[in-house]
Amino acid sequence: MTKMIEAENLTKIYNGKVKAVDHISFSIEEGEVFGLLGPNGAGKTTTIKMLNTLAAITEGKAFVNGHDVQKEPGAVRDSIGVVPQELTADDELKGIENITLAANLHHVKGSDARKRSQELLRLVDLEAAADRKVKTYSGGMRRRLQLAMGLVHMPKVLFLDEPTLGLDIQTRKKMWDYIGQLNRERGLTVFMTTHYLEEADSLCKRIAIVDKGVIKVSGSPAELKQKLGGDILTLELADSPVDLTEFFKGIPDVSEVTKTGQVYRIKLPRTEKALPIIVEGVIKKNMQIKEISFTKPTLDQVFLEVTGKSMRDEDASESDSVIQNFMMEKAR
Amino acid sequence: MINETLVLSARALKKWIRNPAAVVPGLVTSIFYIALFGSSFNPTNLIPSGSVGTQTILQQSFGGAPTYITYLTAGVICLILVFNMAFGGIDLVLDRQLGFLSTLLTAPIPRAAIFLSGVVQNLVKAMFLAFLTFIIALAIPNGLELPSSFGALDFVGVFLAFALLGLGLSSVFTAIALSVRSIDSLIAIVNFMTLPLIFMSNALFPSTSFPDWLKAIANVNPISKTNEAARLLIINGNLSSSQLSTFTGDMLYLLGFVVVFGLIGYFAARKALSAQ
Repeated sequence: MTKMIEAENLTKIYNGKVKAVDHISFSIEEGEVFGLLGPNGAGKTTTIKMLNTLAAITEGKAFVNGHDVQKEPGAVRDSIGVVPQELTADDELKGIENITLAANLHHVKGSDARKRSQELLRLVDLEAAADRKVKTYSGGMRRRLQLAMGLVHMPKVLFLDEPTLGLDIQTRKKMWDYIGQLNRERGLTVFMTTHYLEEADSLCKRIAIVDKGVIKVSGSPAELKQKLGGDILTLELADSPVDLTEFFKGIPDVSEVTKTGQVYRIKLPRTEKALPIIVEGVIKKNMQIKEISFTKPTLDQVFLEVTGKSMRDEDASESDSVIQNFMMEKAR
Repeated sequence: MINETLVLSARALKKWIRNPAAVVPGLVTSIFYIALFGSSFNPTNLIPSGSVGTQTILQQSFGGAPTYITYLTAGVICLILVFNMAFGGIDLVLDRQLGFLSTLLTAPIPRAAIFLSGVVQNLVKAMFLAFLTFIIALAIPNGLELPSSFGALDFVGVFLAFALLGLGLSSVFTAIALSVRSIDSLIAIVNFMTLPLIFMSNALFPSTSFPDWLKAIANVNPISKTNEAARLLIINGNLSSSQLSTFTGDMLYLLGFVVVFGLIGYFAARKALSAQ
């Protein structure tokens, strides 16, 4: 597979003292959706800015579509589409004018620009609003328009910086569908940052969690969750003097068992294999199951383990940023 | 680069045309300066009515202009150019603050196109107001009086002088607007520049009456050169050979101003737009 993005010891130090990104290395293959997660100020946006030529690299190297970001910024810009966190579409222009402007600025002209603009507006369900000024759009419509603007020149790599920030769940779901569809149908490589872990979980083939400018862990969402020790089976038995802890521990694939009263918490890396053996064993011992449930590990648990804070705490502080965006929109 | 410059300039001008109210402040300033300032600060008002000195003063100090407003018109147009170029940068600062500039910086377009589109959009807007100011001056009673020999070529010459001044000023102010991060900073800087630029020139009064130190500055101020060139045509129409020589010298001076400040503006803007 072709490597579409490569970063080697990428470092950004602002004003000679604030280290926003600290020697991070990763590579992303063609057609991959890669998610960068992390708390506020972790260095996610700075990483995107270095890769899309907006911020100078202090140390290290980066390549996008085979082009050195520092030596061939023009070729990098030719290869990329960028959907920034801010709502940057021009309020005073119509939707169609904004997207045609984006096309023209990427050397897509005339009838080609019009055709692609209309196609993309259809894709993001904005065809009916194409001739309205953007100032009449809702937040979700603006984000969808920006996604279309980032795609109009058919880039090889799409950078999405918090593409669904501040959107309601239905609109977020729609955005995920568009991004997933583009990735599947066009083989688009996507580099995204997000605060929504379920978004990363459902969209990203691989994710990296960054904190204080350093990549703490990376891998597929399933791998990262696996590292936590797998699913947790909670089994409550009817009153019985028999302790089954040792029995459960003897079952292959059971990694940990704790007992509180008649409630057993059993950690299973592979639930599908161990679950039938556990249930069968309990029945054979003539014991009655009162309640059984299992929870799968979530990315939030991974995030908590890696960064020491829950993404929910982050969401709370994120509301400030949403308010700021809202105020900016009002100020336009 | 030309294509990108045109695309970006068209975007800004489209927004401007759709908002006719945007020209109102500039138009009101023109009317106030021409009609109110031109009437109330008219220096010939100080001469007793019927005195023969009026024409002498106009002849000696105001280049032979038939009325003070005839003299003042070019100066007010320069003032309009300066203020529109200076405050036109607010749109560029807003583009940075709202993230539109970042979108441009990640697109495969030359940085020069971003700078040039800023220069062009400000120039077009200001020249439109300059034209309206000229019409207002002609329309008001006892206003701008053109000589009978004033023709289309003279009109082109006058507006070429204004365009050269506008181009140089726009380069400087566009570079400043692309370099600052907030509207407050921009306003602080341009306020510091605009009034001295106007007052240290012959825009409102002839520099012959200035103290020597001020006269020395006024004589090299491109606004003074623009006014001198424009007034030669506005007041005289057909130029004598010595007037033509002065006019040519002024235009070459303005061309030099455009080249030097255009380059300074370009390099300053390129630095401001580079990855930080």
